[in-house]
Amino acid sequence: MTTLLYTHPACLEHDTGFGHPECPARLTAILNVLKTTPFAALEWRDAPQATDEQLTRIHTLAHVERLFARIPRHGHYAIDGDTVISPQSGEAALRSAGAVCAAVEAILNGEANNAFCAIRPPGHHAESHQAMGFCLFNNAAIGAAHARQIGGLERVAVIDFDVHHGNGTQAAFEHDPGYLYISTHQAHIYPGTGRRDERGVGNIINIPLMANSGAAELRQAWQQDIEPALRQFQPQLILISAGFDAHYLDPLAGLNFSEDDYAWLTRHILAVAQDCCEGRVVSMLEGGYNLPALAASVAAHVKALMEIHRMAQRSLIKDILERQKAKRNP
Amino acid sequence: MYEFLHYQVRDAMTADPVAISPYTKLREVEALFEAHDFNGVPVVDDQWHLHGILTKFDLLKAFCFDAHALVPHYDEIMEQTAETVMTRTPVSVEPQLPLSRLLQKLIEMRIKSLPVVENGRLVGIIAREDVLKALRRAAIQHEIPAHEEPQP
Repeated sequence: MTTLLYTHPACLEHDTGFGHPECPARLTAILNVLKTTPFAALEWRDAPQATDEQLTRIHTLAHVERLFARIPRHGHYAIDGDTVISPQSGEAALRSAGAVCAAVEAILNGEANNAFCAIRPPGHHAESHQAMGFCLFNNAAIGAAHARQIGGLERVAVIDFDVHHGNGTQAAFEHDPGYLYISTHQAHIYPGTGRRDERGVGNIINIPLMANSGAAELRQAWQQDIEPALRQFQPQLILISAGFDAHYLDPLAGLNFSEDDYAWLTRHILAVAQDCCEGRVVSMLEGGYNLPALAASVAAHVKALMEIHRMAQRSLIKDILERQKAKRNP
Repeated sequence: MYEFLHYQVRDAMTADPVAISPYTKLREVEALFEAHDFNGVPVVDDQWHLHGILTKFDLLKAFCFDAHALVPHYDEIMEQTAETVMTRTPVSVEPQLPLSRLLQKLIEMRIKSLPVVENGRLVGIIAREDVLKALRRAAIQHEIPAHEEPQP
């Protein structure tokens, strides 16, 4: 069993205009790292396009149709000041949501323990009827709804460590106790939601962090809020909205996470997944705008996803050896 | 404005800035402040390791009422060395820090400039004026007009 990597060339064709921080070079930087030797065991798969059925579990049909109607034949169209689309954006958005759905299916089929979706545009700001904050479709929510539908799962958790609050994912889940949404994010920045007292039906856990928070605050959040909530919920699948813009070199925000923090958090999420749901985790790219920091952080995250297999193998070998030993010395 | 997000401290700082030694007399520091528009000067040793920063506030601090004298004596105080009043273990930044983060830091700490340090050595000073200049430069870059209509 290995880690699956879902991506698609169309995700590189979503052009947001000159100088835009959510740029194709982000994905190029990530894919270049994931093509190096330490990641040779990754199983690369092409992302399919999401279907209308998958999209409309979260979005209104009107949103989907309006988005496609606005896609320009050439040049750019600005949905809002920062959310810009271009001729290939429609396919990129479909491949991104499709990647998460396909990864969810593969993991539920037992084809692998976990998967990472190297995709753009990101998703967690997109609401049922509204594209915003660089996001067109809510990839995480669409993937979670897909798991509930095709896998018949009753409990799906999304952990979102992007530096911005995932208002779209929260809005999609806040009335449905079959979903758990946990978000760490910087307080008082875009999009302004994510206060601690936004609790949904008890299934939304927001952990706003003050500017300059780093490793210590992340660990405290894990111990006090994230891990207890996860274990109580007993998810059957964990999705990760993996934004890496809380990194200390990211230009869009003011938190101070490092690559090591991302590896640490990933390993801890995987440990809970091991206990609750046989290690089933699907992670997907959200933000992260300093290219070297982004590439290094994704590398640390994916490496942690891959290492769980080696750890599992080691414990399996240990079990076998111990059983043999027990047979020899009854 | 997206261009601004790509700027790092090294792109906007004053490189090889004027610096003083811990043994510089306050009289010379005052002359420096008089001659230049500095908010403060970094204090370094021979190897350009940063030991502190001496701001105008630090200079004024030397004249605060204290236990030494009923009234501060100007000439006596001006004979003191920089290390007696400088801010020790000053906040510094690295040259690769995004300028957007430097801006936040200046606001949060309400300070006017920061020393830039690489491998323990002073390599520059970055001040409010440098950030303003960089913002102006970034704004000249091409921007996508909001709500540009799709082409028919």
